Amino acid sequence: MTLGASARDKLFVAALLTPCLLFVVVFAYYPIAYSFYLSLHKIVLSLPALGQPFVGLENYRTLLRDGVALRSLTNTALFAFFSVGLEILFGLLIALVIHRRFKGRGIVRAAVLVPWAIPTVVTSQMWRFIFNDKYGLLNFALHGADVGSYTAWLADPGFAFGAIVVADVWKASAFAGLLILAGLQGIPEELYEAARIDGANAWQRFRRVTLPLLKPAILVALLFRTMDAFRVFDLVFVMTQGGPADATNVLQFYGYKKIFAEGLMGYGSTISVLVFVVTFAVAMMYIRVVGTRLFGREA
Amino acid sequence: MRRPGSRWGRGLLAAVIIALSVFALSCEKKAPEGKTVLTFVTWKPNQPEVWDEILAAFSRENPDIDLRREVGPHSSTAFHDLLTQKLKNKSTDADVFLMDVIWPPEFAAAGWAMKLDDRLGEGERERYLKGPLLADTYQGSLYGLPLFVDGGMLYYRKDLLEKYGFEPPATWQELVEQARTIVRGEAGEDEGALYGYSGQFKQYEGLVCNMMEFIMSNRGTLFHRDTRKSGIDEPPALEAVRFVRKEIIGGVAPRGVLTYQEPESLDLFIQGKAVFHRNWPYAWEIANNPERSLVAGKVGVTKLPHFPGGKSFSTLGGWQVGISSYTEHPEAAWRFARYLSSPRVQRLLAVRAGLAPTRKALYDDPDVLGANPQFERMKGVFLAAYPRPRTPLYPAVSHVMQRYFSRAVSDPGVDIAKEAERAAAEINDIVSLSP
Repeated sequence: MTLGASARDKLFVAALLTPCLLFVVVFAYYPIAYSFYLSLHKIVLSLPALGQPFVGLENYRTLLRDGVALRSLTNTALFAFFSVGLEILFGLLIALVIHRRFKGRGIVRAAVLVPWAIPTVVTSQMWRFIFNDKYGLLNFALHGADVGSYTAWLADPGFAFGAIVVADVWKASAFAGLLILAGLQGIPEELYEAARIDGANAWQRFRRVTLPLLKPAILVALLFRTMDAFRVFDLVFVMTQGGPADATNVLQFYGYKKIFAEGLMGYGSTISVLVFVVTFAVAMMYIRVVGTRLFGREA
Repeated sequence: MRRPGSRWGRGLLAAVIIALSVFALSCEKKAPEGKTVLTFVTWKPNQPEVWDEILAAFSRENPDIDLRREVGPHSSTAFHDLLTQKLKNKSTDADVFLMDVIWPPEFAAAGWAMKLDDRLGEGERERYLKGPLLADTYQGSLYGLPLFVDGGMLYYRKDLLEKYGFEPPATWQELVEQARTIVRGEAGEDEGALYGYSGQFKQYEGLVCNMMEFIMSNRGTLFHRDTRKSGIDEPPALEAVRFVRKEIIGGVAPRGVLTYQEPESLDLFIQGKAVFHRNWPYAWEIANNPERSLVAGKVGVTKLPHFPGGKSFSTLGGWQVGISSYTEHPEAAWRFARYLSSPRVQRLLAVRAGLAPTRKALYDDPDVLGANPQFERMKGVFLAAYPRPRTPLYPAVSHVMQRYFSRAVSDPGVDIAKEAERAAAEINDIVSLSP
């Protein structure tokens, strides 16, 4: 059998691509579709006698009435709002600092990225120790040896929620900074020179040159961080287990508990689908609304 | 792709794949001639050498069985995930396994654990403590053999109690008063150096265990077995929860206990910062180990207090041996399970690993008591220990209770009665799902 060279090349390309496509279908599309399928059934692992009846949208109706789920949805949204907002702010500051040329910049750049490089489970454990009420660094920094005034941070619903935001901001600001830095480096130096010649001061240069041209980079950072924030799991798992009094219960953690601890495959999948839909909607919103307005005007 | 090198590369890749599959095939377990392969699924033990010894002895005495051990995670929750995945898939390579005390009803209802009614005779059952055996029973049938038992108990500072002329407290009110007096007397200006009580009040399973002890010692209950309704919204239970919120959390115990599991609460005690401490039997060895504990030799242990008119109560913990319904070797599996639960193995576990036996007779055994003098006093606790609500949906029930208790004791503004009513309704809904 003989094939033309180009046909053979095409075949080879197809052969190389097929595993990749298969991989995406098997590990990305199939689980999403399967979760959706499961969410339409009533499945209780410890009660096989119930069978796995198709219940249509019943799980979704339950979800709408489930106070704990709605509470964790609110928690997740608030978490995303606060942590992403702060991360973009700090990310911008970090990017502006490490964009400047100064002695030791390489070391500073590497140092700033360390929090991002540490696995979240480890950082969560670290922050759990920092917020500890007896030997935590925070209490020691605030009150020194005055043990009587120590606060049990993670025991207070408000503080505990603040604590997971702080831990997330500490970890992810550097990542936002990295994305924004990439944007900064794409801004031509001549624009600043021109602005300087026109008599613009530092603040004006930042407002009129840097910020507008950084918008695409900021948008990307915003998009990545919001999607991550909506899927937060490990911080909560290690630091608070959703407590106290459900103050830090987030959707992913709630769904995990339903599926793996309680064995409610159907209902737990419904929660996963909700996380997927919310994340997807957030991404679409950013790209559509912010994105087209931004890029549309420029084009 | 026309370079000879790439052809070489692909040839090499193919060779590696073939080699790997041959290797994988050869790893397929092959029983030695005439031997029965038996797989034992267990968690990662604290004392691996003791378990090696136990399994080696069984293999020596049962040459016809090829015993394999699969070691899972140490944490009960993670081990549950691994084991139930296997059983859900009807895997045949989990012949014998360990079950936490709250799992038998779930495993029984799901059809994962084998019924042992015909195998364990009435006379043999008499020899076990009542609580663990009850935990292994679901709808009148037995699904596991008790291996060792855990129960909540009260550790206290012998030296401090003596100094102030106190006997270990019989009621919770006494505990609070003694703790207050001692803390006030000891602290001087150094506020916060000593607390009255430490326990486990984080939002997790341990919170349910702690709260159950308060509630049952006030003649309340979490769950009525006969009517299958939750009892957490009834007056004795509400009263106990109110007591915890008012007198324990931020009272004699620091507010930080709301974030404590066993290790953190034990830390407070062994650093000499708490007068009273609630924990499981394992804490005895640590609290009296001079290398780990600042209060070694000053620690006493006794039954948990109760409310006036109630009886001391201890939440039952511990582990069971179960046999899979999907095993291909029920006889060999039974032989092994029985061996694990035998007086001989239980004695070894008690003497060498400090685990409390489930067989009554061992509490009079000189070897066991020689190694664990505290068992003498713990016996009463274990005899009175009682399992948590037994339903195949226990994990879901537990989560509702964890949420309710966490809200009720951490937030002084919460209307306990109203929250309890809501939680009880939710529990009743869940339980009504199962037959």
